[in-house]
Amino acid sequence: MLYIHSTSCISAQHTFDDVNFDVLNPVVENKLVAVEPNSNQIPNAVLRRMGKAVRMGIKAALSIVNNQSELKGIIIGTANGGMEDCIKFLNQIIDYDEGTLTPTNFVQSTANNIAAQIGLFTSNKNYNITHVHRGLAFENAVIDAMMLVKEHPNSTFLLGGVDEISTYNYTISLLDGLYKNEEGKNNDLYETETAGSVAGEGAAMFLVNGKKQNAQATLKAIQTIHTTDEITVEANLKDFLATHLADGEKLDLFLSGENGDSRLSKYTKITEKIADITTLRYKHLTGEFPTASALSLWFACNFIETQKVPTNMVKSGSIPTEINTILIYNNYTGIQHSFMLVSR
Amino acid sequence: MNKIAQNKINLERIFITGIGIITSLGESPDENRIALKQGKCGITDLELVQTRYAGKIPFGEIKINTETLKNQLKATESGVTRTSLLALHAFEQAINDAKLSVREITSSETAFINASTVGGMCLTDELYKDANNLSIKSSYLSSYDFGSVAIYLQQRYQIRGIVNSINTACSSSANAIMYGARLIKNGYAKRVIVGGTDSIAKFTLNGFNSLMILSPEICTPFDNNRKGLNLGEGAAYLVLEAEETCKSKHVYAELTGFANTNDAFHPSSLSIEGDGPFLAMKNTLDVANLTPSKIDFINAHGTGTENNDEVESRAMLRLFEKVPSFASTKSNIGHTLGASGAIEAVYSVLNIMHQEIYPNLGFENPIESTKLTPVLSYSKKEISHVLSNSFGFGGNCSSLLFSKI
Repeated sequence: MLYIHSTSCISAQHTFDDVNFDVLNPVVENKLVAVEPNSNQIPNAVLRRMGKAVRMGIKAALSIVNNQSELKGIIIGTANGGMEDCIKFLNQIIDYDEGTLTPTNFVQSTANNIAAQIGLFTSNKNYNITHVHRGLAFENAVIDAMMLVKEHPNSTFLLGGVDEISTYNYTISLLDGLYKNEEGKNNDLYETETAGSVAGEGAAMFLVNGKKQNAQATLKAIQTIHTTDEITVEANLKDFLATHLADGEKLDLFLSGENGDSRLSKYTKITEKIADITTLRYKHLTGEFPTASALSLWFACNFIETQKVPTNMVKSGSIPTEINTILIYNNYTGIQHSFMLVSR
Repeated sequence: MNKIAQNKINLERIFITGIGIITSLGESPDENRIALKQGKCGITDLELVQTRYAGKIPFGEIKINTETLKNQLKATESGVTRTSLLALHAFEQAINDAKLSVREITSSETAFINASTVGGMCLTDELYKDANNLSIKSSYLSSYDFGSVAIYLQQRYQIRGIVNSINTACSSSANAIMYGARLIKNGYAKRVIVGGTDSIAKFTLNGFNSLMILSPEICTPFDNNRKGLNLGEGAAYLVLEAEETCKSKHVYAELTGFANTNDAFHPSSLSIEGDGPFLAMKNTLDVANLTPSKIDFINAHGTGTENNDEVESRAMLRLFEKVPSFASTKSNIGHTLGASGAIEAVYSVLNIMHQEIYPNLGFENPIESTKLTPVLSYSKKEISHVLSNSFGFGGNCSSLLFSKI
């Protein structure tokens, strides 16, 4: 059980500060590039040295960390960290035949740099960790936060998920078949019956603790699975709901990680059938990336807080009059799956 | 984590029931122990990694080429990297040592937590070509990231519990051990396989070289004239089990304390006061409810860099009225980055199992400002508690405490 008190989100859409779902930023060249907010908290000279993942992470984090001294830990999930800097350094190695290289890109490229920079900016000497387990990097950060809250019931933690599109990981993932070869618009994403999705990036941050009072939402339970078998996903989801939905409690919304990849539709179909309620989807807004599930949690918190759902996210069913309980399902490349149960 | 009661943190004791290791000192705990006892050094000229620094800077290289590893381990599927192969070798050893059955390994109550800072980036040249789209795609497209190692082992062994990968630079596998232990204490798992792996990569080699902290000679931790660190490679895994699940088993040692802190000072160096290292050690003792005087031996991080060894010494002086016996094994095997926390955890377990301590090699004169002298020769010693330190870039500091049962 995790009580979520403040949230922030940087994505390709208007999700930071003035949240506005009526304006839709389009897919450009099969990418949904995050809109980076300006920041007056970090000097420009410092920002210039940072890669986009670090900038997004630190801007999203600083916008919700008001009282730095209350923060008892920083828990970040990121599959790749600063991939752009990583390959820039790699290119230097090869292009200059391992000559005299500048260390900036190397230091910026380490995956733990986002959490480290947040720690540095908030002078935080407490727990600091980076989970990098690809499509379950954020989910493992959630499990970590859940344990920390149980271990330290009176403390507040910063939990987040961040990943960037870099030219290079885009190329690698495109070659690996993760993105569509043909170009499409946001709303076409789910219509094309082809393999691959569109690339995305973003950062979502959450202040979490064990205190129910004034919480924006509750993350009741999470489960992660490694499998390619949809029957295993089905059995686990049934079990998950039976275990964690209270007597008489029902789902109001199902937030699906559907991403337009025809190879993965068997998983979204079967989970949709089990949830059997109004289905929403979001990857036409955010694109696909390993920690996109962090953004899905932000969406769920937003729906619960505002009691509203943008119509362009509805796949099927009608928008409920009251939003109390949301099931989130995500899968990454069909091998890593997760369920999260979010409630008021 | 199916249906396990997660309401209360239990006070479950965490026992170590299996260990596996591969380093430049040897391919098993026994081989490593013999070499440590004899004060052997596995840091040599590079033979397998193609780089212009081969023959100029020494490394803790494991002299088994990747193809041989693949054949030895029957891991001839395409896309398997050296980092994963080293992991597989040590993982297999650890689960066999703990006599885990297939049923236990594939139980949803068995978790696997891996650490790596290099992942598939050991294939620096292949990654360069794929990332820049310069040739026909390689077979490693889904093997470059940090998660690839754990996902490979998960698939190979059909692990069904929680699987995770952690990267906190050089403290990565200490945090993997800590996360695994907390999964047991919080009721998410009954047993965990935890550890880390890293192989020598042109990427990290040039990274550390650009920071000018690679020693041109074999490193000399805690020596006043130390010239930097040597990179090494290796992997180590430990099987941790809840007390109730391993009643009839042989137990090597108990994990009694752990802590993760941040120095919050600089991305690639530690503060001179060493708040991060000090707090990591102090909080670990607090978790174990032990006073500093109870510590018999410290497996120091001791990389041999100007910054680390002085700061770590200061932190030890701050915490301990009388600094206990300490040594670094970095002068035996080099700095194995994401694997070092787990490798040194295995070495700490060896200290306890055999009631002995191993010498810190290459030391001549103490650091002027701190005047600490590490253990310089092999000896038998009564050991109840060993503290093991791992500090990394990004200020990530972790300590672990291993105790005799």
